[in-house]
Amino acid sequence: MTSQNLTSLQHQFADWEQVQEYYLGANLTDGLPIMPPTEDRVRAMLEFSGLPPDQIIGFESIRQKHITAEKVAINAVMAGCRPEYFPVVTSAIAACCEPVFNLHASSTSTNGVTVLVLVSGDYAQEIGMNSSTGLMGPSNHANASIGRAVNLVKTNFYGSIPQEMDNSTFGHPGKYTFCFAENLDAGNWPSLAVDKGFDGSSSAVTVVAAYSPLQVSVFGGKDPESFLAGVAHAMIGLGPSVSEVFVVLSPEVMQYVDEAGWSKQQVQEFLWEKARLPAREWIAWRRVEHPDRFPDKDQLVGCVADPSRITLFAAGGAAGVYVDVIGSWGNSRPVTRKIEVRS
Amino acid sequence: MTNLENKLVTLDPRDESDHGPALLAPRPHTLDGKTLGLLSNNKPHSEELLQMIATNIRERYGIKGTVEYNKGSHQWPANSEALKEFAAKCDVAIHATAE
Repeated sequence: MTSQNLTSLQHQFADWEQVQEYYLGANLTDGLPIMPPTEDRVRAMLEFSGLPPDQIIGFESIRQKHITAEKVAINAVMAGCRPEYFPVVTSAIAACCEPVFNLHASSTSTNGVTVLVLVSGDYAQEIGMNSSTGLMGPSNHANASIGRAVNLVKTNFYGSIPQEMDNSTFGHPGKYTFCFAENLDAGNWPSLAVDKGFDGSSSAVTVVAAYSPLQVSVFGGKDPESFLAGVAHAMIGLGPSVSEVFVVLSPEVMQYVDEAGWSKQQVQEFLWEKARLPAREWIAWRRVEHPDRFPDKDQLVGCVADPSRITLFAAGGAAGVYVDVIGSWGNSRPVTRKIEVRS
Repeated sequence: MTNLENKLVTLDPRDESDHGPALLAPRPHTLDGKTLGLLSNNKPHSEELLQMIATNIRERYGIKGTVEYNKGSHQWPANSEALKEFAAKCDVAIHATAE
């Protein structure tokens, strides 16, 4: 299948250093060195997934971009991915091309969101992803390189280059990489993949046009009613214009929720109820772009439109009573795709 | 690594497809007698800005009239049917953003 010719422009260099100089100089990296995308490495990536180079992974309609497997593979190699990570990268790119994700606007806006790549299911463990201690930080090869690959496709192929098409006011550290896995060992809730309608044996990837994560410390009790109020307070900080909120519960917090017997739906409803304010307060805090959106200024307005827009899951290390709150940019909806792995 | 005549050969990660150059619509020689379209992206004050521009143009040309359309969001594409309807009603259009 991959005997088909690769059609990308070739570059020739005398050595590794020249490769780095060229790719850095041509603005084809995130500022860090890359793995040289040689034909052998790109072919290994395609071979693992059984994809022909001209297979369209996704079509982005605003900029009319047909993103091919070959180009995704080149960027994945550059990011340092191993071939077994490639199914996650291609599923994430396909998800980014769904119209509701609004890739174009989220890649250009001053808001500066990044693509959070969230993996749920056994495949995350098979490829060695970190879902535990320090999962949002450095050192895990799969987490680091999968998230980086998605960002490189966005910049190199799609053209969302900082200070050119990407006009982020502040940028986002996650524009280097922002990828982690759900911790399936913590808690009794169904996995994210199952929540999104896939069967228990499936793995799935969710992409989120994500703001920076906000870590909340929830001290002083094991009663969900007390510590979840603090989480709702943090959600209010996101304002009333996010599309969804992802709430990451540490295993210890998850344990307290389980011991209290709270379902996902109960937690969603509790957080939604508590993270509401009268419209006039949001307006007074200058968190509303169009105040006339709320004719009744006493109307209670939620951080998100309804409880189903709060996604809950466990992740992180065993120790620590922390919850991480990640807002999804208001003009984008997260998208979940099954990870297709060739058997 | 791939070696070709002792060279390290790598592939280019950019989009190499050729969509052809983006072309500007033909420009009219004058705005006299033309219907001016005012296309807002719903940013705060964008409609006010468009009205100021329209006032300025009215003072300089004998335009036939104006047609207004607010596409609802600066972050989402305009509804294609509504945009076609708007385009059919005007000879020229100005699209403005503001804060």
